[in-house]
Amino acid sequence: MTLTVYRWMLCLYPGSYRGEIAEEMTSVFLDAQSTLPPALAAKISFYRREFCGLLSGALYAHFDRLFGPAIPFRRFDMQSQFRFPRSTVLLMLVIFAGTVLTIAKASSIAGARPGSVWPSFVSVGALMLLTMCTAAAVVVGILHALRRSGVYRLENVQGRMDSAESNGKP
Amino acid sequence: METFALSEPVLLVLLSLAEQPRHGYSILKDIESMSGGGVLLSTGTLYGALQRLLENGWIERVEEDSTPRDRRTYRLTSRGRRNLQMEIERMRHLTKVAALRMARKEA
Repeated sequence: MTLTVYRWMLCLYPGSYRGEIAEEMTSVFLDAQSTLPPALAAKISFYRREFCGLLSGALYAHFDRLFGPAIPFRRFDMQSQFRFPRSTVLLMLVIFAGTVLTIAKASSIAGARPGSVWPSFVSVGALMLLTMCTAAAVVVGILHALRRSGVYRLENVQGRMDSAESNGKP
Repeated sequence: METFALSEPVLLVLLSLAEQPRHGYSILKDIESMSGGGVLLSTGTLYGALQRLLENGWIERVEEDSTPRDRRTYRLTSRGRRNLQMEIERMRHLTKVAALRMARKEA
């Protein structure tokens, strides 16, 4: 199943690129998959990393093909240790659930009152989708800025220094 | 002279190949071990970096008839080694400056 998705996503790469390295990438993916730890979290993290990597890789490959290597080795690739805060994920899930419930409630009220001024389910849905896309764009922008600034790395270094100090002083 | 700073994945790939020629999966595992498990590259990121390095002539494929197509080996070229050395020098200078600044701040 995951291999099928992986191969399908490889189709997003430019044809020449795909012909050259798709087979090799698939082989490395299978090797990495075969050594995955049994924990569910590790598997989710692995597939998320792989599929996001493919998406961004395909995007950069098309970018390079169109514009050439204008930016030879990008600093904004530095995001390997970035961790998305769990609290933010939870908050986003709560907001998403609230949005879905609101849409459901609005559509039921609109259905119970014929000729009411409530907007239709489709227009509410479209508005919600637009809002969510805008919010996602803002979040991606903030994350991109954080990755470029390396703020999370400073936090990691500070954390290591604090723990080293606490180990040194009983 | 190429004076630009390298991204972390590219730097790690170069460091991995500096020791010995490796194939894709071996590079991934070496980077994971080099960073103490802190850096886990995806295949998309790895092959993006490899492709750029190949195009720039920093690395090359080791052509062997016995090597299967899905397990090709890569090695550093002399140009890649020279540029890696320059990057290490740049980082060394940067850490020296950083240490001096921190010492002044503490004094």
